[in-house]
Amino acid sequence: MIPGDPVSIALGPRATPEIQAAYAAKMHLDKPLIYQFLIFMGNVLQGDLGADVFSDRSVTTTMAEQLPFTVTLAVSAIGWAALVGIPLGCLSALKPNTWLDRFTGVLSVGTIAIPSFLVSIWAILLFSVTLRWMPVIGAGESGNILDQVHHLILPAFAVGLGWVGYLARMVRASMLEVMGENYIRSARAFGLRSRTIIFRYALKVAILPTITLIGIGFGSLLSGAVFAEIIFSRPGIGKLIYDMVLSRNFPVIQGAVLVTVGLYVFVTLIADLVVSWLDPRVRDSL
Amino acid sequence: MDTKNLLEIRNLNVDFKTPRGRVHALREVSFNAPKGKIVGIVGESGSGKSTVIWAMTQLLAGNGVVECGEIFFNGKNVLDFSEDELRAFRGEEASIVFQDPMTSQIPVLSYSQQMSDIAYRQRNKSFREKIEHSKQIMRKVGIPDTEQRVYQYPHQFSGGMRQRAGIAMALLMNPLMLIGDEPTTALDVTMEAQIIHLLRSLQEELKSTVMIVSHNLGLVAELCDEVVVMYAGEVVEQGDIRQIFHNAKHPYTQALLECDPARVSNRARFLPTIPGDLPDLHIRPNGCVFAPRCKYALQRCEQDRPETYVIEGTHNTKCHLLDSSRDQFGTSSTIERQVSKTETYDSSLKNIIDFEKPPILNVENLNVRFEIMGPLQALLKRNGKRFVDAVLNVSLHLRQGETLGLVGESGSGKTTLGRAILGLVPSSRGSVEFDGRLLTDLSESVLRNLRQDMAMMFQDPIGSLSPRKTVGALIAEPFSLHNKEKKNLEEEARRLCDMVNLPHSFLNRYPHELSGGQARRVGVARALALEPKLIIADEPTAGLDVSVQGEVLNLMRDLQARRKLSYLIVTHNLPVVRHICDRLAIMYLGRIVEQGNGEMIFQKPAHPYTEALVHGVPQPDPDKRRNLVSIEGEVPSLTNRPSGCEFHNRCKYVQEKCKTLMPQEKVLPDNRTVQCHFPLIN
Repeated sequence: MIPGDPVSIALGPRATPEIQAAYAAKMHLDKPLIYQFLIFMGNVLQGDLGADVFSDRSVTTTMAEQLPFTVTLAVSAIGWAALVGIPLGCLSALKPNTWLDRFTGVLSVGTIAIPSFLVSIWAILLFSVTLRWMPVIGAGESGNILDQVHHLILPAFAVGLGWVGYLARMVRASMLEVMGENYIRSARAFGLRSRTIIFRYALKVAILPTITLIGIGFGSLLSGAVFAEIIFSRPGIGKLIYDMVLSRNFPVIQGAVLVTVGLYVFVTLIADLVVSWLDPRVRDSL
Repeated sequence: MDTKNLLEIRNLNVDFKTPRGRVHALREVSFNAPKGKIVGIVGESGSGKSTVIWAMTQLLAGNGVVECGEIFFNGKNVLDFSEDELRAFRGEEASIVFQDPMTSQIPVLSYSQQMSDIAYRQRNKSFREKIEHSKQIMRKVGIPDTEQRVYQYPHQFSGGMRQRAGIAMALLMNPLMLIGDEPTTALDVTMEAQIIHLLRSLQEELKSTVMIVSHNLGLVAELCDEVVVMYAGEVVEQGDIRQIFHNAKHPYTQALLECDPARVSNRARFLPTIPGDLPDLHIRPNGCVFAPRCKYALQRCEQDRPETYVIEGTHNTKCHLLDSSRDQFGTSSTIERQVSKTETYDSSLKNIIDFEKPPILNVENLNVRFEIMGPLQALLKRNGKRFVDAVLNVSLHLRQGETLGLVGESGSGKTTLGRAILGLVPSSRGSVEFDGRLLTDLSESVLRNLRQDMAMMFQDPIGSLSPRKTVGALIAEPFSLHNKEKKNLEEEARRLCDMVNLPHSFLNRYPHELSGGQARRVGVARALALEPKLIIADEPTAGLDVSVQGEVLNLMRDLQARRKLSYLIVTHNLPVVRHICDRLAIMYLGRIVEQGNGEMIFQKPAHPYTEALVHGVPQPDPDKRRNLVSIEGEVPSLTNRPSGCEFHNRCKYVQEKCKTLMPQEKVLPDNRTVQCHFPLIN
């Protein structure tokens, strides 16, 4: 199905047909495709994602090593994007068509449009090469939290920047919509303070679609952080998949894709649960 | 300022800035609200009646400006208030009950949270004390089980209960003035009657001042002491309720009262209407704002602004006809008005029902069942019901040229039944026979062909028209849907336009440029395009002003007489039904509880529910106020049908037998069928 026979990759060009046949039988590659798939799924359910073709290491172990780096990167990228993007969106919705709103609008489109690899390279040029504030590559010494955080800053900045724009736009749009709702006018007519109206009434409704978006964003960053991981030479799922595709190390790719998809589904589920916790209408329809 | 008035509005002018220029939404509005009285502001859409509230609470939309005027509330001018004073004024001194409790209460906060938020100024009270106070107020407005219900969210309340909660929130800070902005418009008749009753008893108990803004003359007659009549941004007449309802002086007030179908009892007549449209308020009118539609208009009415003429006491009006220096109604100089020819119908309404032929529509034992839970969910929730029966064992028939009204409150299944007849909703049991063919057995493609003969008029006239198509394209759409392209579509569109009295210039307009009445006409034209035999009209006059409502109903009747159409009219509006329907079918919880001749049912309802509905409509006559609410409680949920007669828990004539035994259908001497153990006529 994919060019590159896994057997010849694993054993190299000098393997005899007998060795190849034996290896294929061991890996069940001589069986029909559907059977191979069922065996793989059976193993997955037992926590076995197969073994690295070259090193014969368990893929599960590799994943357990790499996953924390990617999760940390995704969490911190989305986290800072939410911390900046949501207030920015709120502000521009509360003062629509002012200079602040226009500025945020341009900024949002800009950050959405710039590809993250470009941001990465510029960030390295500015902060690492010229200013020498930040390290260029790696994820820091293991065990040294401060060093790890130091190494995390630039990649998280580069990956999250686009999301600042996305979230700001999203929050602005839903905030504007909610501020026009009847219940906001009723709240005003009952003489509530605008602080209460904005943060307790409007934001609580407006944030709901944003939470779903954050869930999806986090999921897509699990594999989407690949550029940042390559440029900063950080370990992580993205970089792992990239390397393994180049070397055609299929079991690792399979495992990595499966874990990413699983996490994606998990995170979106969490986002939906958070929404249902915040919105009693959704809670009651469950 | 007079101390007996809580509110005095003087010469209030409000403009809205729009891209097309300024709309002069309120002009020279002046009126008073005396302390301890209920004042009603009446007007049709576009009269500016709500704008008065928003100007008064300084909550006008962003493009609204108070040009000049004074609003004195309790001796202070509201327009001079600072932002802090305004906040204290809103909710504490003047509090509003909103039109639509579905959208005016925030869905994500429970009532306990919303109410303690409103009470934020009472710093000395703890959260618990605020909740206790909220519960107390909720009990006062008739909400049961307040211990639990105060912690519930708006979506967990039914429509009527939500509006009660809205009233509770408005009363929470014990305001000097309670303002109702169309407080019952979103509710069913039976709920409306309960809310009117509640508002009146609360006013008597609290001795507060109430201001009701409404288009519903019945509501105003039932509730108010004083009335202010508004038209196109001006107060045209005001006075004591009896003076306005029995001795209206302004031609607009007279016409408005005349239009109300609840007042016109003679069925064979066409309903009166007010021809013409609201004036464009981008231009300040030179003369009387009503002059272009007034049948008594004089030359002078179009040139000079009328002054306010005092008739007696507080009753005054702005109309040149009352100028005593002029000969009383000497109509020598009345302008010859081009009363549009199309508005006059052939009044010789013959009975065109064809009793010879078999009925065109025959529905036998029709059932519609909806799945509300998947099998897995039902398994998880245990004893949860998986299905609800929206329509149960409904049988009815309709002859050619006949009009059948399907009446019920929201949730009675009337719309579902209409759709099931057309095959738009699958029926689970029973049969629908149309023009001799059994629809329930036909395949979708045959059914689609047959739908040429059965047309549907939808409830929301503008929402059911594609916003990107012109009126011409929309009217001709049914032809292309049914592959009748060979016809000359433009000619067909013009023909249909003539049929519904729509000028040809409208063919190039888009739906958003139409008024409610015009959009209805387009709906009628679309329904008529393929010359159907049966038209199912879902709430044909919902959202229309009374002056336009008559126009649509007259058009429908005129077309029926000319083309022998059969109508099935689905509605909750009883006065309308009385005018247009030959027979009525009253629905409750998916069953038809009474069916028969319309006039008979109105005069002598046989089922207690029918009686409650008929008596539930507030009469536009202040001398016919009701003292008792005709029906208590609310429509039960379809998932939890009462045992025995399903109406027994709301019926005031309930007997032991009703609680356990389901009544069989009885045929009364006058050919009516009724599902009741003890029908009211005997």
